[in-house]
Amino acid sequence: MSWLFGGRKSQTSGAEESFPNDSKSQDSQNSLGFDPSQVTNVSSIISTPGALDTSRLHPLAGLERGVEYLDLEEEQLSTMEGSKSLIPSRGWTDDLCYGTGAVYLTGLGLGGSYGFFEGLKNIPPNSPGKLQLNTVLNHITRRGPFIGNNAGVLTLTYNLINSSIDALRGKHDSANSVVAGAVTGAIFKSSKGLKPMGYASGMMAVAAAGWCGLKSVLL
Amino acid sequence: MSADHTRDPCPVVILSDFGGAFAMGVIGGCVWHGIKGFRNSPMGERHLGAVSAIKARAPVVGGNFGVWGGLFSTFDCAVKAVRKREDPWNAIIAGLFTGGSLAVRGGWRHTRNSAIMCGCLLGVMEGVGLMFQRYAAWQAKPMAPPLPEPQQPQALGA
Repeated sequence: MSWLFGGRKSQTSGAEESFPNDSKSQDSQNSLGFDPSQVTNVSSIISTPGALDTSRLHPLAGLERGVEYLDLEEEQLSTMEGSKSLIPSRGWTDDLCYGTGAVYLTGLGLGGSYGFFEGLKNIPPNSPGKLQLNTVLNHITRRGPFIGNNAGVLTLTYNLINSSIDALRGKHDSANSVVAGAVTGAIFKSSKGLKPMGYASGMMAVAAAGWCGLKSVLL
Repeated sequence: MSADHTRDPCPVVILSDFGGAFAMGVIGGCVWHGIKGFRNSPMGERHLGAVSAIKARAPVVGGNFGVWGGLFSTFDCAVKAVRKREDPWNAIIAGLFTGGSLAVRGGWRHTRNSAIMCGCLLGVMEGVGLMFQRYAAWQAKPMAPPLPEPQQPQALGA
């Protein structure tokens, strides 16, 4: 079996000759390279004391130990340099979902409250209560979703571009964010001509820089 | 160990669901309205038509998806907090509330019908999810280990 286990046959036979009364385990250890009595098999697992302990085999056993690292193998936090943000992130999908959701909700809230006050101002005089309510609701639903949708689309594009630049460079810093903001603004107004593209690009770059500044203050 | 670590804990997961649903809606709306605008435009203006249809409609689709997903997640969290258990009924009850609250401006009958429709839809989705879960569990069912050898294995060539 030397071709398989790489043992040196002449030396092994010499050892057998010199120690003819050696124990069998020592003999097989020399020829196999390991001791067969130490190999783990089903019977050795079962005969281990405590292996069949019901308190350890229960499906809810070990809850007091908290979360084990094996459970979290798929959900490691992002280890990219400089990618630390306000909330822990597992990667670009988390950034995308949380960023877009937060900005969309903010835009919806701001636009909705603007529409609310606009609706309060535009209530027709001497109208019944139902018409007053309807006027206010109509103004809210006109302003809120419009601002929310546009802000959400901008953030979605920004996050996609930002994550792509991060992945290309292998790290994240403020320059990434500013560039991603500029590209986002340019794409957003890309069908309106060069001048609006420039304006939107500049505004988004400033907004991204502001976000980076806010993050550096808060972190 | 059996806890689901892929989803975040409840109050913050609403934001994530909002954003995820919005992104899904915007990207799906880009594909849908791009094709629609392309097909409905006259020859020679097809790309322009596709772009303007995407610009006009995709954010609205995204907003509708996002509001639905966010409301659903909010109600799901609320129902979980009240019932203190996790089962398919959470999603069905949350679907009822979501469908109802989105249709609340259309009057009582519209609200009721919409809530029931939405609850049934979520019920079907939960049922299909349960079926897949059962199937996966059946595929990966535990196997009895092979019986141990009665004696120690002999060393090869010894």
